Amino acid sequence: MEICKPILEVKDLYVNFYTYAGIVKAIDGVTFTVCEGETFCLVGETGCGKTVTSRAITKLVPEPGRIEKGEIIYHTPYGKINLLELPEDKLREIRGKEIAYIFQDPAAALDPLYTIGYQIAETMVEHKTVPKWKEAFIKAIDVLRSVLMPDPEKRVKAYPHELSGGMKQRSVIGIGLSNQPRIIIADEPTSYLDVTIQAQIMDLLRKLKNEKRLTIILITHNMGLVAEMCDRVAVMYAGNIVELGTVEQVFKNPLHPYTKGLLRAVPNPLTKIERLEAIPGTVPNLIYPPPGCRFHPRCSYTMDICKREKPRLVEIEPGHHVACWLYSR
Amino acid sequence: MAELKRFIVRRLVTFIPTLIGVTLLVFIIANLIPADPARAWAGGEKASPEVIERIREEYHLNDPWYVQYVFLMKKLFTNDIVSPRTHNKIWDDLIFGTSQGVAGAGTKYGRFFITLQLTLFAFLYIVFIGIPLGVLSALKKDSPLDSAVRSLALVGVSTPVFWLGYLLIYIFFVRFRVIELAGFPEPTQRITGIMVIDALLLGENDIAIQIINRLALPAFVLGFIGIGVIARITRNAFLETWNADYIEFGKARGLRKSRLMRHALKNALVPIVTVLGLQFGGLLGGAPITETVFGIPGMGRYMIEAIRNFDYPALIGGVLLFALIYMLANLIVDITYALIDPRVRY
Repeated sequence: MEICKPILEVKDLYVNFYTYAGIVKAIDGVTFTVCEGETFCLVGETGCGKTVTSRAITKLVPEPGRIEKGEIIYHTPYGKINLLELPEDKLREIRGKEIAYIFQDPAAALDPLYTIGYQIAETMVEHKTVPKWKEAFIKAIDVLRSVLMPDPEKRVKAYPHELSGGMKQRSVIGIGLSNQPRIIIADEPTSYLDVTIQAQIMDLLRKLKNEKRLTIILITHNMGLVAEMCDRVAVMYAGNIVELGTVEQVFKNPLHPYTKGLLRAVPNPLTKIERLEAIPGTVPNLIYPPPGCRFHPRCSYTMDICKREKPRLVEIEPGHHVACWLYSR
Repeated sequence: MAELKRFIVRRLVTFIPTLIGVTLLVFIIANLIPADPARAWAGGEKASPEVIERIREEYHLNDPWYVQYVFLMKKLFTNDIVSPRTHNKIWDDLIFGTSQGVAGAGTKYGRFFITLQLTLFAFLYIVFIGIPLGVLSALKKDSPLDSAVRSLALVGVSTPVFWLGYLLIYIFFVRFRVIELAGFPEPTQRITGIMVIDALLLGENDIAIQIINRLALPAFVLGFIGIGVIARITRNAFLETWNADYIEFGKARGLRKSRLMRHALKNALVPIVTVLGLQFGGLLGGAPITETVFGIPGMGRYMIEAIRNFDYPALIGGVLLFALIYMLANLIVDITYALIDPRVRY
């Protein structure tokens, strides 16, 4: 394994949502490091906090959410900055320029009243990477060509409703790439697309990553995608990272009972399994999360300590971390 | 573009039955009133029978009602009917201007243009106060400002126009003398029909200022209901678009707040424009009271006088014009949809 040159470090992140029903402790002390040039995956069930974590990186947690504590260290070529301490206008300059997002539903992410050319050009002009609108519109064609949009000269003048789902997602990726960011955060970029288109979009992302030496943070619940795309993977459960390691480590030698369950529940792309099994129980209510390890009510190895104390993420073998009392004493 | 043209022609054709329906309805109601219009026009109880008979002949009052109606509409169409009250041709009174018009002096502007100008002023108030208030209220959701804007709609709807009018007259005329309530200055030449614009085109700035000064307060009173309503509609529409995914994505791609607001406002515009179109009709309906309170020689007052004197030729002429403007306003709204939203097809 290459030596990791960190580009982004998330340290001890806590996010709460202040709802009428109570305080939802959505992210509960998440820590991970993303290395330059890798594809880092966040996996987990719906509602486990993947999306919130990814949005929190540039302080985009929607109302009524609040980042309670933590640090997001971004390594620029000139030094480290803590994004959570940056004033809003400086942060705006980083969003979409240094750290770009690709959203889940391309149909909703594009403004229906403007052409995609306009929206790409707008992103460049707002970050002053292209000084004039006129130039930006011409550059938008190149951007569309780079994401393999068919007939980009014509499509640049198309409105979102005139494009297919795949073309819309290509446009969204184009917007994300238009300012040549260093990090792309792709939040389930294919879950709203047909399976055949999914493969095309993932191929595109892989190709772009190699060409432009991007760092990708990929958020997904699709284990097949993880195995195919990722270098390292963090498994999330109920606002915690429960296991973190290379794809090989996590898929071949899963340590955490939740990861094991998760891999038994889906066809494992790296090892053969006979039949699929469900994880018993349901995702806990995060207004009143279970004390200790948040997974203990569903775990078949529960011990006394699991109900009392929260396990910390510890390194079991080089690069392979797990947060479970079975492994740390 | 060809589609748009076809759509407009189709809509204009539907104007005809609507106009016939509206005028017919008003005509029938006017006819049901148990009074003798000829006697009233001739001067009341003391009128001589010969004059009454001559008026009956002239306006076909002895014929069945449908003959009367057709006669009236035909004459209106060729501007060949004289109002028995003002003794001017009806369209001269309303549109073309008369040699002996408002307050005895001649005028180059019919009364319709005075009302139109008042309505447009009120409309400007609604657009330029109502929409920004709504946006502000949405951005500062649940703040005291938001509550104030939300209650403004309620206050606006439940404030009687005449009460607000007299209150403001008391403040600005009786106490501080900053407005005028009599006379109506005119530019020396009629060009577009809107007095302020004509005055500015002719370089007669002081006349333009006088007109603005004369209309500022009545237009505010007329538009007061609309300001609250539009602020409220804008607030709700803007809140919805402000939480949309494309605004979230806009933040994620690092757009400035002003730009995000532009995206949100444009997407919120469809419901706003719909209500604006309806408001325009409401303004026309509110004009008679405002004009009476502020002594503005507009079309609303003209029609009230017409009703009072059984002058139903003038009344129907006025109704015809109101209906036409209302339909045009809504046609413009429908065309605007297509300009805002590329998904709209005709």
